[in-house]
Amino acid sequence: MTWKSHRASWTIALAALAASLFAVAPVRAEEDVWPTLKQATFGDRAIQAEDGTIILDAPVTAEDASLVPITMRVPAEVKGDLKSLTLIIDKNPNPVVATFSFGPAAGTGGERSISTRVRIDDFSHVRAILETEDDKLHMATKFVQAAGGCAAMQAKDPDKENVDLGKMLVKTFPPALSTAPLFEGQVMLKHPNSNGMQLDIGTGGYIPARFVKEITVKRGNDLVFRMESTFSISTNPNFRFTFGRGGDNELDVAIVDTDGTVFTAKSQPSGS
Amino acid sequence: MCNSCGPRLTRQDVLRAALALAVVPLLRRIPVHAAAPAPESIEVSEIAPGVFVHQGRYEMQSPENRGDMANAGFVVGSDAVAVIDTLGSVKVGRELRNAIRAVTNKPIRYVINTHMHPDHVFGNAAFKEDAPAFVANHKLARGLASRADRYLATNKRMLGDDVFAGIEVILPTLAVQDTMSLDLGGRTLLLETQRTAHTDNDLTITDQATGTLFFGDLLFSVHVPTLDGSIVGWLALIDDLKQRNAPRVVPGHGPHAMELPEALEPEQRYLATIAADVRKLIKEGKTLEEATKTAGFEERDAWKLFDDYHVRNVTAAFAELEWE
Repeated sequence: MTWKSHRASWTIALAALAASLFAVAPVRAEEDVWPTLKQATFGDRAIQAEDGTIILDAPVTAEDASLVPITMRVPAEVKGDLKSLTLIIDKNPNPVVATFSFGPAAGTGGERSISTRVRIDDFSHVRAILETEDDKLHMATKFVQAAGGCAAMQAKDPDKENVDLGKMLVKTFPPALSTAPLFEGQVMLKHPNSNGMQLDIGTGGYIPARFVKEITVKRGNDLVFRMESTFSISTNPNFRFTFGRGGDNELDVAIVDTDGTVFTAKSQPSGS
Repeated sequence: MCNSCGPRLTRQDVLRAALALAVVPLLRRIPVHAAAPAPESIEVSEIAPGVFVHQGRYEMQSPENRGDMANAGFVVGSDAVAVIDTLGSVKVGRELRNAIRAVTNKPIRYVINTHMHPDHVFGNAAFKEDAPAFVANHKLARGLASRADRYLATNKRMLGDDVFAGIEVILPTLAVQDTMSLDLGGRTLLLETQRTAHTDNDLTITDQATGTLFFGDLLFSVHVPTLDGSIVGWLALIDDLKQRNAPRVVPGHGPHAMELPEALEPEQRYLATIAADVRKLIKEGKTLEEATKTAGFEERDAWKLFDDYHVRNVTAAFAELEWE
């Protein structure tokens, strides 16, 4: 190789490198984080996508990125017990938002569902992954346009929020048809669910993270579900869910936050 | 004037803006009237002697409107001028400043923000050269600082880079705890903080010389109201504000000037309709999603920008009222 051709090949190599650098940047920005996330969360297990076993309802555009309503539904045609349900928001700082493990009081015999409200930090895929009793995984995905939900302070009246912290409501809704096998329940907790990303003007620092990490819902002695969550659940965590008809259909709820504080409440007897 | 006693904030880049106040040159720029081409300025109307109002467009921010989508005003005393809100970009803020300079050369001593929203505060930097006191409800700093990143990102996207240039977050240097009077020479402005309503940092201003009231975004007309505080608080406050005796009131969005109590009635009806619908749905065990599809939709034809803000309003109302 002559010096000249050597130099030419270097020039070409440099040009190619430069071109690849320019080409790489936008690709990285659009990087699909799901393969990595999937591997970290579910390992090598196969996931059936959009097979109708789990349905995810989420708005196309989130009007308020710090309060995005999400509903996960298992259609009535899907029979049998459910093992677990995982909610993932790809682009959030901590993508695994919540994992629900179901117990004997979760119920069967109709459409089963869980609704909550989440913060979404960027335009992102939102995923619900259901584990059925045969150990198979099923996934539903929606793309939500929302931005800035994690750092956005949702409390519209922070002074009042702090006064009410710990106030909890547990409600039950009997089915319209008195013989139907599924009730609905709702758990609401006044809690900032702060994620450490919200600025404290008084100190110039960030408000320390304090969020709900665990919720246990029981009907009598039987578990409806146990949920582990991260800070993507909106301020004043709110869950609405179906559960199986039992004797008195009273719910017992215990919530633990990252400070170790335990909040407990009981629902009123059913029908009230 | 207090240039160095702004909030001490260190950790977030955007808040360095507050410190920029400390380096504003003390030299005042000498306005040149002769020979200079007429500077671009926005249209203002004198609604009462010495009280001027610019009416913003009923639009979302865009490169075309330059963030000119709220009302702004100024009051001229014998010694000084007070600006009330600065619109949504430095570019249009400068045009407001030019409109003031076409009327008077008196020093701009106060820049008052009626609340934290970008369409009312993002023109603040256009007045830095006047070294005014930036005046607001004492809760504005917390509210604006915690939302600053999101406000800046959203407005950069919506206004485009050219119009966005120069926008910075300027936090108040003079905080109103309860009420405060500002003397402009021969006339006094009375500033009053209000309970949580449109936001948690609303401030009303009364020009005592003419009785003119500035309600900021506690009063929307034509433009659909936007709820970022408390629907219960806002409805209660409207009852009080309707009792005010004033010859004219300036809305945050709407015509230059309106009359009380009629001015507040459409807004009151809109908020009361949402509150009634949402309360009924909550009582029936309906969800937030269901409420966002039905509550208050009979108001749709009565307002501009309904589709841009209504669902957000219902969401906020639901999250508040479900705790009753």
